[in-house]
Amino acid sequence: MIAEISHYLSILSTAIFMLTFSLVLVLDRSASHATLLIKRSYSHAFILFLISFLLYVYLALTDNFSVSYIAQHSNSLLPNFYKVTSIWSAHEGSMFLWIVFLSLWGFAFNLHNDSNLNVKNLSIGIISIIIVGFQLFLLVTSNPFEIVLPFAPENGADINPVLQDPALAIHPPTLYLGYVGFVIPFAYSLAFLINGKKSLDWEKKVKSWSVMAWVFLTIGISLGSWWAYYELGWGGYWFWDPVENVALMPWLAATAFIHSLSVASKSNVLRIWNLLLSIIVFSLSLFGAFIVRSGIIDSIHSFANDPQRGMYLLAFIAIILFVSLGLFISRFSMFDSSKNIKSLSKESFISLNNIFFGVLIFSTMMGITYPLIYELLYNQKISVGAPFYNAIYAPITILATIMLVASIDSKWGRPIDMKGSFSMLYISLAISLIGLIAIGYFVGNMPFIIMLSIFMGLVIIFRYLMLIISNIVHKKYTNTPSALAHAGLGLLILSISANSILSSEKVFNMKPNEIREFQNITIQFSELELLNKSNHDSIRATFSLNTEGKQFYLSPEKRKYFARGQITSETAIKIMPLKDIYLTIGEQLDNGQWVINVQLNYFIRFIWLSAAMMALSGLIIIKNIIRRRA
Amino acid sequence: MKTHRKKRLINVLLLSFLSGAGVLMVLYALNSNLDYFFTPSELLTEEVPSNRRVKVGGMVQEGSVRREDSIISFTITDYSKTIDVSYTGIVPDLFKEGSGVVVLGYLNNGKVDAEKVLAKHDENYMPPALQDK
Repeated sequence: MIAEISHYLSILSTAIFMLTFSLVLVLDRSASHATLLIKRSYSHAFILFLISFLLYVYLALTDNFSVSYIAQHSNSLLPNFYKVTSIWSAHEGSMFLWIVFLSLWGFAFNLHNDSNLNVKNLSIGIISIIIVGFQLFLLVTSNPFEIVLPFAPENGADINPVLQDPALAIHPPTLYLGYVGFVIPFAYSLAFLINGKKSLDWEKKVKSWSVMAWVFLTIGISLGSWWAYYELGWGGYWFWDPVENVALMPWLAATAFIHSLSVASKSNVLRIWNLLLSIIVFSLSLFGAFIVRSGIIDSIHSFANDPQRGMYLLAFIAIILFVSLGLFISRFSMFDSSKNIKSLSKESFISLNNIFFGVLIFSTMMGITYPLIYELLYNQKISVGAPFYNAIYAPITILATIMLVASIDSKWGRPIDMKGSFSMLYISLAISLIGLIAIGYFVGNMPFIIMLSIFMGLVIIFRYLMLIISNIVHKKYTNTPSALAHAGLGLLILSISANSILSSEKVFNMKPNEIREFQNITIQFSELELLNKSNHDSIRATFSLNTEGKQFYLSPEKRKYFARGQITSETAIKIMPLKDIYLTIGEQLDNGQWVINVQLNYFIRFIWLSAAMMALSGLIIIKNIIRRRA
Repeated sequence: MKTHRKKRLINVLLLSFLSGAGVLMVLYALNSNLDYFFTPSELLTEEVPSNRRVKVGGMVQEGSVRREDSIISFTITDYSKTIDVSYTGIVPDLFKEGSGVVVLGYLNNGKVDAEKVLAKHDENYMPPALQDK
C-alpha cells in the first residue's frame, strides 16, 4: 500500500513539475504574482517528491520485500543504516536519489530571492523540465516501485558486502549532490541568455552555488578514493577507471569554471567562455550518469547493462546540449569581443590554465571513448590505462603550476611589473630547490618528471606560505581560501609524486608463528582465528609487527558472507606519520602457508588531506559570500 | 580596420594550429599507451611485440593453478587455445579455476608475465570476448 502511495506521489510530482514548466512558459515572468505562483508550484512538486522518497526509505527500513528493488538489494539481517543505504547500492534507487538531489538544489534556489524575476523564473522553468526528463527516465526505464506479485519473498538478497561500509554509504550521495548541483549555474546561464541583457552579472550570482557543488564533488571523489584504498585491497588511491574519470572530468571543468567566474566578476572578460563552461560542466555531469548507467563501458563500477536506459539518457543529454548550445550560438552577438585580456595580467594566467584544464578534460574524454571508437573502426578490443593518463596529466599539471606560481605576483587588469620585487618568488624557489636536493639525498635516483613535480609542489606550498607571512607582517588582506586550496594542490602534487616513488610491496608465504623481514619491519604471524559473525564467517590472521622500536598488531581478514556466498578481504592498516603499513591476506596454499601481501604506502594520507583543504577552502568562499550579502 | 581583421585572422589560424597540434599529441600519447585485449587464440595468431602491454581475457583452466613461493601460475583458456600466465602477488577473491579472469602484462616466450590479475566483482561475469562462444 505504502509502495503504491510512494509511486503515485512520484507520478504526481512529475505532473506538477511539468505544470511549473508550463507556467514559466505562459505567464508574465516579470510579474510578482506569477513569480509567487511558479515558486509555490515548484515547492509543491518538490515536497511531494521528497515525501515519495521518504516513504521509500520507510519501505526499506521496514523490510518491505514486496517491492522488487528492495527485495533484490536489502536484507532483514542488515543494520538499519545499511537498509537505508541499500537504496543507492544499485541503479534504480541511485537514480531516485539523484533526482531528489536535483530537485533539492532547485528547491534551495527557489527559496532564495532574486532581484531579476524574469531570470529567476526562467531558471526555475529550466530546472523543472530537466527534473521532468529524469523523472520520466526513472518511471519508464528504471522503476524502483515495481511490486513482486503475487507473493513477496521471505527475505531480501542483501547488499553487496563490499558496499557495506560507512564511507561507501555516503560516497554516492555526496558525489550525486556535486553532479546535480551544477544544474543551478547551467539553468541560470541559459536564463541569462534567454533574457538577453548583457548587463546582468550572472557570474556573481551563481558563484556560491557552483562552489558548493564543487565542494560536494571534491568530497565525493575523495571518499570514493579512500574507500577503494582500504576496501579493495590493491592499496592504490586512483585507478583511472572510466567511472573515476567521468567524475574527474566535471570536477576539472568545475574548477576551471570557478576560476573563470572570478575573472569575469573582477574584470568583465571571459564572459562567453563562462557561459560555455556552465554548459560543459553540467553536460559532463550528465555524461557521467550516462556512462555509469548505460554499462556501455566495461568497468568494475558499471551497473547492469540496459541499452534502453543508455539510449534514453543519451537522447536526453543530446537534446539538452543541442538546445543550450543553439541558444548560446544564437546569442553570440550579445557580446562584443573588444575587451581583450592583457598579457601577463592575472586574467591571462588564469585563462591559460583554463586551456590546460580543457586539455586534461579533452584527453580524459578521449581515453574513455577511444576504446569504443577503436573497436568500431578496427574490430580490436583495447583499453586505455594509467600510462596514457600519466603521460598527459604529469606535464600539463607542471605547466599549469608554473602559471599558478607566476599568477601570484601578477595583478588584475595589468601586466606584471617586471621592475617589481620578486624576492618572495626567489626565496620560495631556493627553499624548494634545497628541499628537492634533500629529498633526492634520501630517496636516490628519481625520474625527471617526478623531480619536477616534487619541485613545483614545494614551490607552490612555500610561495603561498611566504605570501601569508608577508601579508600578516604588512597587515595586508590574504585571500585565505585561494591560499588554502592552492597549497592543497601543492601538497597533492607532492604527495602523489612521493607516493609513486617511495611506495613498495612484497608478497610472503607464511605459516602461523613464522617471522619475515621487510624494509626494517619484522612481521610475525601470531595467530589465526575463525570467527562467526551475524552475517558472515571470517578467518582473521593476526600479525605482530615491529618497526622503529614500536610494536603493534594488524589483523587482516577474509570473510564469507551468507546471503550471497561472496568472499571479501578486509585489509589491516597501520597509519604512521609518513606512511601506511598495509596488510592483506590471500588464500591458503597446499602446504598450509598463507599468502600475505605487505605494502608500504607513503604520503597516502596527505593526498586526502589536500582534497580536504580544497573542500574547506570552498566552504570558506561560501561563508564569505553569505557574510557579504548579509 | 583592415589590420584589425588581419590580426584576428592570424589569431584564429594560430589557435586552430595549436589545437590541431594538441589533438595530434593526445592521439599520439593514446596510441603509444594502448592495452590491446586478446583472447588466447588471438594472442597466438597475431604477432605481438614483447614490449607491448597486453590484456588477456578468458577462463582459468581447471586444474591449472600452481604455486611456487610467491609466484602463482595458471592457464587461461578460451576453449580452443590456451596461454600460460605467471604472477607474483595476491589474486582477487573471485579468482578461481573455471571462472573468468583478465590479466594485464607482457608476453614473454609465449607466456604472459602478469602485472595485474582482475576478476570481475560478479560471480556470473564472462569476459565480453567470450560471451558468444
